Amino acid sequence: MSLSTTTPIVDARDLTRIYPLGDSEVVGLNRVSLTIAPGELVVLKGNSGSGKSTLLSLLAGLDEPSAGTLTVAGYDLLNVSESEKNSYRREVVGMIFQAFNLLPTMTVMENVCLPALLAGKACAPTADRARELLDWLDMDTRRDHRPAQLSGGEMQRTAIARALINDPALILADEPTGNLDSRNGGRVIELLQELNRRWRRTVIIATHSNLADPCATHQVCLKDGAINDSTCAP
Amino acid sequence: MRPLIFFIRLFYWFSLRQIRQHPWRAVTVLVGVALGAAVFASVRIAVHASLDSFTRSMDLVTGRADHTITRPGGRVPEDLIAPLLQNPSVQAASPFLSTYTRTREGSRPFLLIGLDPILDRPLRDWQAREENDLDPNWVRLLSEPGTLIIGSDLARTEGWTAGRTLTLVHRQGAAAFTVLGQLTAEGLGLTENGRVAITDIATFQEFTGTHGGVDRIDLVLKTTHADRLSALQTVLPAGTYLQGPGEAKRGGRNMIRSYALNLSILSFAALFVGMFLVYSLVALNAASRRREVAILRSLGASSRVVFWLFMAEGAFYGLVGWLMALPLGIVLARFLLEGVSRTISSLFVRVNVAGMTLSPLEIFFSLGVTLGVAVLAAIQPAREAMGIAPKEVMAEGTAARGGGYRIRHLAVAGLLCVLSVVPLAGMPGYRSIPLPGYLATLLLFVGFALMAPWALQGAGRRFQPLLRRRAGLPAHLAAGYIQDSGSRTAVSVGALVTAVALFTALVIMVQSFRHTVEIWVHQTISGDLFVTTRMAEINRTWEPFPEGVEDYLKGLPDVALVPNRRFTLSYGGFPFQLEAMDFDTFDRYGAFFWLEGDGRRLTDPLDAGEGVIVSEVFANRTGLGVGDRFRTEVQGISLDWPILGIVRDYRTRGGVVFCSLDDLRQRSGGMAWGGVRIFFRERFMARGDAVVALQDDLRLRFGDRLEMLPGKDLRAAVLKIFDETFAITTVLLIIALVVAALGITTTLTVLVLERARELNTVYAVGGSLKQIRKMILWEAVFMVAVGEIGGLLCGFVLSYLLVFVINRQSFGWTFLYGVDWGALAFSLPLIVATALMAALPAMRVVYRSPPATLLRER
Ligand SMILES: Nc1ncnc2c1ncn2[C@@H]1O[C@H](COP(=O)(O)OP(=O)(O)O)[C@@H](O)[C@H]1O
Ligand SMILES: [Mg+2]
Repeated sequence: MSLSTTTPIVDARDLTRIYPLGDSEVVGLNRVSLTIAPGELVVLKGNSGSGKSTLLSLLAGLDEPSAGTLTVAGYDLLNVSESEKNSYRREVVGMIFQAFNLLPTMTVMENVCLPALLAGKACAPTADRARELLDWLDMDTRRDHRPAQLSGGEMQRTAIARALINDPALILADEPTGNLDSRNGGRVIELLQELNRRWRRTVIIATHSNLADPCATHQVCLKDGAINDSTCAP
Repeated sequence: MRPLIFFIRLFYWFSLRQIRQHPWRAVTVLVGVALGAAVFASVRIAVHASLDSFTRSMDLVTGRADHTITRPGGRVPEDLIAPLLQNPSVQAASPFLSTYTRTREGSRPFLLIGLDPILDRPLRDWQAREENDLDPNWVRLLSEPGTLIIGSDLARTEGWTAGRTLTLVHRQGAAAFTVLGQLTAEGLGLTENGRVAITDIATFQEFTGTHGGVDRIDLVLKTTHADRLSALQTVLPAGTYLQGPGEAKRGGRNMIRSYALNLSILSFAALFVGMFLVYSLVALNAASRRREVAILRSLGASSRVVFWLFMAEGAFYGLVGWLMALPLGIVLARFLLEGVSRTISSLFVRVNVAGMTLSPLEIFFSLGVTLGVAVLAAIQPAREAMGIAPKEVMAEGTAARGGGYRIRHLAVAGLLCVLSVVPLAGMPGYRSIPLPGYLATLLLFVGFALMAPWALQGAGRRFQPLLRRRAGLPAHLAAGYIQDSGSRTAVSVGALVTAVALFTALVIMVQSFRHTVEIWVHQTISGDLFVTTRMAEINRTWEPFPEGVEDYLKGLPDVALVPNRRFTLSYGGFPFQLEAMDFDTFDRYGAFFWLEGDGRRLTDPLDAGEGVIVSEVFANRTGLGVGDRFRTEVQGISLDWPILGIVRDYRTRGGVVFCSLDDLRQRSGGMAWGGVRIFFRERFMARGDAVVALQDDLRLRFGDRLEMLPGKDLRAAVLKIFDETFAITTVLLIIALVVAALGITTTLTVLVLERARELNTVYAVGGSLKQIRKMILWEAVFMVAVGEIGGLLCGFVLSYLLVFVINRQSFGWTFLYGVDWGALAFSLPLIVATALMAALPAMRVVYRSPPATLLRER
């Protein structure tokens, strides 16, 4: 895939995830092999049910593969302890969801600071960093609002700030525009692109829309849980 | 430090804000916990006030004595003092006498102490205030007969001042005393919280007619070497013993202690029901916030953090509930103090409680228990929350509810808990504390609570078709919902089961107990007039009748006499009464309440002194039974009889041994009567004025020297004490029920709020608000019905435990088991009504939020 000589940030071999479903099984991901170099913006495409979310949750350390190997940023995700996995989730990846997944009892500011505080960082510098991020996302006036008081676009921008608070090496976005109108969706994609171009972050966006296509440095297409380059073309 | 600060902050953001968003849920739980904690703390404060007061008085009266000489069943000869003082082992020796007395006008009784003011100096501290003469008051005690110095409480409550003349009554009749002054608030002056008076030993003996004898001689020894002690024992006359000073105190303290423990465990029931409330709310939050927990986990929070967040929520309810309980507990303690100290005085040892002391230890203990209960209740939901996988953030809906598999497992575990009650009930208690019995009770409650989900599911399934036909759609929907509402409803049902069970069991126990006591009172406390010497009953020493009384009584026409003589003794540290009586005459007018032995066949051998009968309490406490030998010593006479039978007796917590008065008289060479019950030969006379006439006659002849109580008044008094004792139980019970009703309220309201969507859908497809409310009412009916039936079953098992295991082990007595169906039938509908009232707030919630707002939620 990538011809760069640097060590890849993501290195997956024969990655498989099978969901047991009663007596039968559902194949979520089928022998996927993939390497991604640092600094890329990968768009993961495929129809609904093709395995995008399954792949992302494996990359995010939220779920365990049934078979294969997976190394992300030096973490061998099949052989890490529970506490290493916690710190991996806190500091190595930042995740953005379709449903935003903000904590409803906390303000924007608190939601953004949470991963840093969980990582044991001091309060004051964390708050400074959070304010910086929120300013950059045009959210500076909404810092003390609760998620229920925000629009969808604002919620997603809060989630982006939260994903960035620990300066993760890898940013994963699962259908980040799925719950947004096209204007707000475009804005989110622009921000992710800026992250990649300006701040040299590796970004993986899973989506079935074409919104992110223009900014991709790389496209991966999934069909029925397997990589299938021919389906990518519309 | 930083992780802790962060944890507190996270707890505030994640948990406290959630609590604040639903304040009423939290408030109900907090009120429940607060009520439970208040009851628990106040009962302990009240009992401990009595225990403290008793211990303090005993210590003050003991003073610096390290040994004491007593003579079981009699008095120590006073002339022992002189040789004792010359004994090389003895540093100080002082005679001591005490008795309760009161004024002829009928003041409350107070303790009168007789001592030698000079000999007593090295042993006890006391001092008189208001020294206005040349002679100090203690010198005037010696030089002026008929004087006394009073404690501060007597001065305050009775208004007695120096120079005042009082007429006090005792066995010798009334005597005039002059108050010299007041004791300072130190040493003996603080005995019984100042309700005490001190007089010279000579005046005391004159007043009580105890010339030459004293209650005991207190000693300070130069050495406590064992050889010297036994050497000292050998110079004492037969029947007198050298003892450590703590004997009497230990006996009394142990009795109050076990009463305290039994009462605290009973009061713990309310806290236990509160535990269900904490569990249900923490479990609700853990279940309804699955997604939020998953988000936390996906952001890198460890499962430990999640666990402690929910544990902290439990602790929060415990802590805040306890804080709310403090003012309530103090009010409640005030209310209980009087009743508890009266119960202790009438059943165990006399106490005079002036006020409460809030010991920091007690405060921390109640905090610890409340917090412990709340945290314990949170463990299971916290563990469940801890198991939520981070990948659940990706899921669209919320996870499914617990399946039938788990419900069956819980039910089997519950059944095992209930079955384990059987072996536990057979195990012996530990030093009058029925620990296995209490454990069995706990397992019984836990077992029934674990079976609640299964019972709900079963009931829902079974009645759903029937309800559809008979009660319409809302009932049908309710039955369906209840079936798979899972553990949430089950918890409230469990709380209701516990409360109903407690209620049923206590109703059965109190009724059985009262019924038994009534039979006993009418059979065994038979008699038309009871006569003893003045102040005998309250002092628990029954001196011989004053001169002439016995002869006069024997000459009375128309009456049969059952004379007796009683002694307060101790058997291996356990205090009991030996009652020597006339079995033959008693048998004609009254009867013992036999547990073992044939009453009709035993009268002759008993009268002939061939053996004794003992009370059930005595048998259970000492382990002696029919066929064993009973040995004791009274006034230096060794007694040894076989035990022929066991009878019920509820007179005191101590036991009673009944022996033949004739036999004792022969063995001792003369034993005067200490009391007599009088029966009229013609029964109609007992109902007429004859009792009053006889009383007047005796009063005229013997003045204040006799205490007389008509049999019917005595019987009424015994039953009154009984009712007062159980009044406390009733208060505790009602509070437990209130807490359980709060549980139903929270659950139903939460169920409604949670199903806002679902209910709205019912509305949208054409259901009316009325139908929805009806559905909720039916859900309440289900919960209440299952709780009530489960509670009844559990209650019957519990009542058996209470009557035959817990009472037997902690009080030593049992009673005839009987169910008062009338009382149960009357009270259970009340509980049903209360529980259904608890559904009202939930039904109002449906009213309050119109369907449009329901749609917007979440
Ligand atoms: N938790 C699960 N249990 C069972 N099957 C699942 C689960 N999650 C995903 N699947 C299945 O795995 C396949 C891939 O799903 P997913 O990764 O969510 O696809 P996408 O995100 O591309 O829409 C689908 O067939 C889906 O039904
Ligand atoms: Mg998806």
